[in-house]
Amino acid sequence: MEKAFDRQKVLLQHLLPSSSSSFSSPLSASICLAGDSAAYERSSSFGDDIVIVAAYRTALCKSKRGSFKDTYADDLLAPVLKAVVEKTNVNPAEVGDIVVGTVLAPGSQRATECRMAAFYAGFPWTVNRQCSSGLQAVADVAAAIRAGFYDIGIGAGVESMSSNAMAFEGSVNPKAQDFQQAQNCLLPMGVTSENVAQRYGVTRQEQDQAAVDSHRKAAAATAAGKFRDEIIPVATKIVDPKTGEEKPITVAVDDGIRPSTTVSDLGKLKPVFKKDGSTTAGNSSQVSDGAGAVLLMKRSLAMQKGLPILGVFRHVISLMLKMSFAAVGVDPAVMGIGPAVAIPAAVKSAGLELDDIDLFEINEAFASQFVYCRKKLEIDPAKVNVNGGALAIGHPLGATGARCVATLLHEMKRPRQGLPLWNHINVHRHWDGGCSCS
Amino acid sequence: MPIFKTPFNGYSVKFSPFYENRLAVGTSQNFGILGNGKIHVLDLNPSGPIIEISAFDTADGVYDVTWSENNENLLVAAIADGSVKLYDLALPPTQNPIRSLHEHTREVHSVDWNPVRRDSFLSSSWDDSVKLWTIDRPISVRTFKEHAYCVYSAIWNPRHGDVFASASGDCTLRIWDVREPNSTMILPAHDFEILSCDWNKYDDCLLATASVDKSIKVWDVRSFRVPVTVLNGHSYAVRRVKFSPHRDSLIASCSYDMTVCLWDYKIEDALVGRYDHHTEFAVGVDMSVLVEGLFASTGWDELVYVWQHGTDPRAP
Repeated sequence: MEKAFDRQKVLLQHLLPSSSSSFSSPLSASICLAGDSAAYERSSSFGDDIVIVAAYRTALCKSKRGSFKDTYADDLLAPVLKAVVEKTNVNPAEVGDIVVGTVLAPGSQRATECRMAAFYAGFPWTVNRQCSSGLQAVADVAAAIRAGFYDIGIGAGVESMSSNAMAFEGSVNPKAQDFQQAQNCLLPMGVTSENVAQRYGVTRQEQDQAAVDSHRKAAAATAAGKFRDEIIPVATKIVDPKTGEEKPITVAVDDGIRPSTTVSDLGKLKPVFKKDGSTTAGNSSQVSDGAGAVLLMKRSLAMQKGLPILGVFRHVISLMLKMSFAAVGVDPAVMGIGPAVAIPAAVKSAGLELDDIDLFEINEAFASQFVYCRKKLEIDPAKVNVNGGALAIGHPLGATGARCVATLLHEMKRPRQGLPLWNHINVHRHWDGGCSCS
Repeated sequence: MPIFKTPFNGYSVKFSPFYENRLAVGTSQNFGILGNGKIHVLDLNPSGPIIEISAFDTADGVYDVTWSENNENLLVAAIADGSVKLYDLALPPTQNPIRSLHEHTREVHSVDWNPVRRDSFLSSSWDDSVKLWTIDRPISVRTFKEHAYCVYSAIWNPRHGDVFASASGDCTLRIWDVREPNSTMILPAHDFEILSCDWNKYDDCLLATASVDKSIKVWDVRSFRVPVTVLNGHSYAVRRVKFSPHRDSLIASCSYDMTVCLWDYKIEDALVGRYDHHTEFAVGVDMSVLVEGLFASTGWDELVYVWQHGTDPRAP
């Protein structure tokens, strides 16, 4: 046995050199208790296993006739959320994310209700990634590939704001009134924009200027053909509203960009959400239709298939371009300032400094939150949304995340030094208060 | 390309220098820590599975194998019990091994046949020494003992029949000339153990070293103070490194990170291929001299893979 122990020691030194501090693996030499014939099995020493520590449910009752027929969805969810943390003594602040499955309700509304339920259950902050659901899809696929569920996946987003109105179906749980943060979840987006402008001192002039810049950059990018690589033409039809006549068309350009927009034009628009406010149709994102898709796979597979590697989803060390993802929650009353918190967190987790980043893509839901984030992060405006953003190109809610990835990765292919990072608004709730641009 | 399942954990795989379809594989039970060993001689069959044409059992793990350069049936194995054993494929298993050379006091970790003189071979051992053997003598010709810790690999220079390099856990690479009393050059090549080394087949002054520090370094013995280049990309210790017999700048390596990597050390993005077909430590890798681009690898997942560069080793 002594010989076996010596051999283990020699081999272990290869994995865990004693004079090095860069190896933190908790391996140690020990004789296998199960003997030589032990099957290779995972045991308590494998700390990276994912384990389930609590699982509870509500009673299930007959629909429309049973005991829950008059119970709000958020009141069903809150007790089980509360139970899993209370019965395990886990601090709700330690929970990184809450993912809820649901089918029948309008997705955006149910997401809002679930967020409210988390507040009822005592979670201090929550993240609602409605407008970054396209990005969340990309992150989920990356995580699933890393977890070994599959080798190739597509993260995508789609929105037809023409087909689906932004409205709340049914009544709101009156309980929300007792929870300030839950109540804030129901604020129209435009009001949260006003809150941001007021709380952080973003002037009307700054917001209008940001909108003009966005349109100018997007128009320049379109004129230079920069979007040609990323836009897939769609053959469809358009109905003439007067004659009802159907015409086949092929769409290959963004149609919301107004190259001639000026600050003085925008200055004439009236605030929409508040009498003396600063958020107007001109400095809010546009209501749009569109879709985006991102194909992800293991690097080994991409190399094997000879595919170009446009970007790497965090972690990988080499010379590859990096993307990073972080979801950090903020107060729902000031929507859209998530990037100011999430970007430093993402950059840090990728082992970089903010100065290392050459390209930022921050979603422009409203000029107020966009200007605030840019100022708060103290980043060079020349590095942010170089081809314009949602203010000019449009904001098809669920599709924007995937659209941003496409825009950023194609921009990253153009000559530039350093490592780009992409982030996106991670905090959103619902969109009753969207603005339209005429 | 075909896959062969071995009963024990793979330690070494070598293409025959005589037959383009023949391989020898050294394996050890229980990851080479305790138990028996087995040598498999395999033939690739273009239209079917790999065929095992011979197998030899050993009383301890087989850490390395090398083919004779002057007799296509002769095979040498490095055994963990400290012995070096010679096998003749022309004789039945009962008459093998034809010789068992027991001088090393600890595990023998590498064997390498002299490609120039073709009558001698080297063994390196965890007893910190390297031994020179010839086929006609029952005892070693010489013992080279300067290293202060395990010698993991001793490899002949492809041009000079008297020159070899040795890589050791004492963090040095040493160059030897068997006509000289001491090593002719000592390179403190890494800050951590060096597990493998190999000579460039086109420039006899160039060497590669592979280390526990996860890197591979390329050295020029004419200016040995700084490496020619450092290849980073493995995420754990690099177990074996090998220069291509066909392309001067191509290097293959395998690692505890379970991957086999291909490098072109002359270009900026040196990592030109990465194969993650093994599901345990990748320990043995070889490139065929007779068929350009044909690779073989083995590992602790008890599998031997043979594949053409650019194809998926797992593809049936």
